[in-house]
Amino acid sequence: MSAAPPDNDVLWARGIVKSHHGTPALRGISIGVREGEVLAVTGPRGSGKSTLLGCLSGLLPVDEGEVWFNSSPVHTLSRLGRERLRRDRFGFVGSEPHLVPELTARENVALPLLLSGAGHKAAYTAAAEWLERLDVADHAKRRPAELIQSQRQRIAVARALAPLPAVVFADDPTAPLHREAKDQVLRILASAARSHQLTLVLATHDPELVKYADRTVALLDGRLTGPVAPVPRGAAALTAGR
Amino acid sequence: MLYFRLARGYRPADLGRWLLTATAAALVAALLLRALGRALGEPAVSSLPRLLWCLPPLAAVGWFAAVVGRAVPAARPERIDGLTAAGAGPVRIRLLVAGEIALACTLGSAVALLLFLVLRNDIADPSLAADLGMGSPLPAAAPVTLLVLVPLVAGVSAACAVPLTDPLPTGREHTAPTGFGPLRIALPTGLLLTGTALELYGLRPGASVDGRPVALPGGLGDTGVAALVGWSLAALGLALLTAPLLALAGRLLALGRPTPLRLLAGRGLTAEARRIGTPLAVLGLAAAAVLAAFRYWIGRPGSSETLTSVEGLLVVACALAALLVRAAEVRSARRDVSSTLLRLGAAPRLLFGAAALRVLAAGTVLLLTGGLTAVLAAGALG
Repeated sequence: MSAAPPDNDVLWARGIVKSHHGTPALRGISIGVREGEVLAVTGPRGSGKSTLLGCLSGLLPVDEGEVWFNSSPVHTLSRLGRERLRRDRFGFVGSEPHLVPELTARENVALPLLLSGAGHKAAYTAAAEWLERLDVADHAKRRPAELIQSQRQRIAVARALAPLPAVVFADDPTAPLHREAKDQVLRILASAARSHQLTLVLATHDPELVKYADRTVALLDGRLTGPVAPVPRGAAALTAGR
Repeated sequence: MLYFRLARGYRPADLGRWLLTATAAALVAALLLRALGRALGEPAVSSLPRLLWCLPPLAAVGWFAAVVGRAVPAARPERIDGLTAAGAGPVRIRLLVAGEIALACTLGSAVALLLFLVLRNDIADPSLAADLGMGSPLPAAAPVTLLVLVPLVAGVSAACAVPLTDPLPTGREHTAPTGFGPLRIALPTGLLLTGTALELYGLRPGASVDGRPVALPGGLGDTGVAALVGWSLAALGLALLTAPLLALAGRLLALGRPTPLRLLAGRGLTAEARRIGTPLAVLGLAAAAVLAAFRYWIGRPGSSETLTSVEGLLVVACALAALLVRAAEVRSARRDVSSTLLRLGAAPRLLFGAAALRVLAAGTVLLLTGGLTAVLAAGALG
């Protein structure tokens, strides 16, 4: 049994090992994510970025190792407990928007809030605000099929941010976007994280996008390779106030 | 050989579809052979009406095959992807799916033929002798020609129904429009109202004095022209109204300030109204007609005809199976949506509840349209 993780880490993992049907994806990764920071996980395709995000968020159970969130263990939680944790504290943006096709943009954004028991009015107001912030307020009453991919992706970002989760996991969120839209979406993600003290874990293979991160770790073949040296607290605070 | 290779990868759902197709084909083949047997036994009597009676079940099998063909790409996207990657174009995929279905129908027909030949070979009860054409020689080409019809009809309708696949996976998010135009609602409503009025006019007190000129086949007695035409119009209107009614039920479910359960159930029902509406309408129509016929026969003992009732039940079974296949297609097409919702933290119980609510609403619509059709049919039969 290990000691509890350091207090200033909102998310903390030690020695996690995960394989998909025998193919090793993560081979012993230890990582800590501080509260309110933007952490970029870089690496080529197949390096284990998505698996790492899945393990940290409790979407995938780890084979070995520990994952802690806010000083409570995630790796020992039951399936139901992990679902509840994801619903109440985590938000996701994937490389595909994965919207519910029969719901309008606003309903899609309001859905996580409704699912966690928020009132109808509060959920729809928050949804409208986030759609406004992401420049898709004009399409609030449209269905995903009527929109273009970049608009759908913005709606997916709004959906992840609207419940103000403690940690937002973004797995290659800019994959379907053009260069300008990429910058805008990531700027919004990063600034939302800073203004609302959200923690953002961003997986990307685009080296240009690392500039939005406070700290970067690099993965290769399931192992950490890159600069993992943590930024001093003062520096992180400086970037947070930027 | 490829078909056998593909068949080795069947899951229970695929196998169920395959067996359902084969069974329906076997039953239709049995009906066709019975008509042939009769024609052999009594060459003097025209066999055309009996062959015409085989058309509704043949049409039912053809339609069922179309529904099955449509469901294959949605149920097994990885198989279609694999075939596409291996270089099979849309035409070849269509042919492959149609071939699978035609193969099932061929097997069903062959089983029926085998049974027919075995029964003819003096095993059958003498009471069946007339139906099997026992004692008269059987020209080999006749049953083969007749039975080629079943796989042919099924294969062609399945080939026409297989949707063209989109080579790019991003196209999957595309959905059909969910609304119904004003004409799409006004036309069936008009048909329903006109039909009902016409039928009531045909059944007005005193009309029966004029006599009932149209004789119905299958021991169903006779009825008036106005009542028959009125019922046909009203039934068509009700069938066409099923999909808009489903969409309306979905809207009602999600009315006001819906909870996630009502929102997901209602919007899902509205979105799938077109896909579910057609098989539901066909089932409602077939079940209503068969129910009314059975009610008529029960009221007048001795008037029933076995052939007609078997045919009716076959059509209803095909319609029910088609509805189930379509429901499975919708379910597999929504796999992505379900996993998205689960990822958002929706409880599996919520998804199950939404599905149950949708089934309940669809059942209510079926009871409404089917029940009304049955009442009108019972009225027309007298």
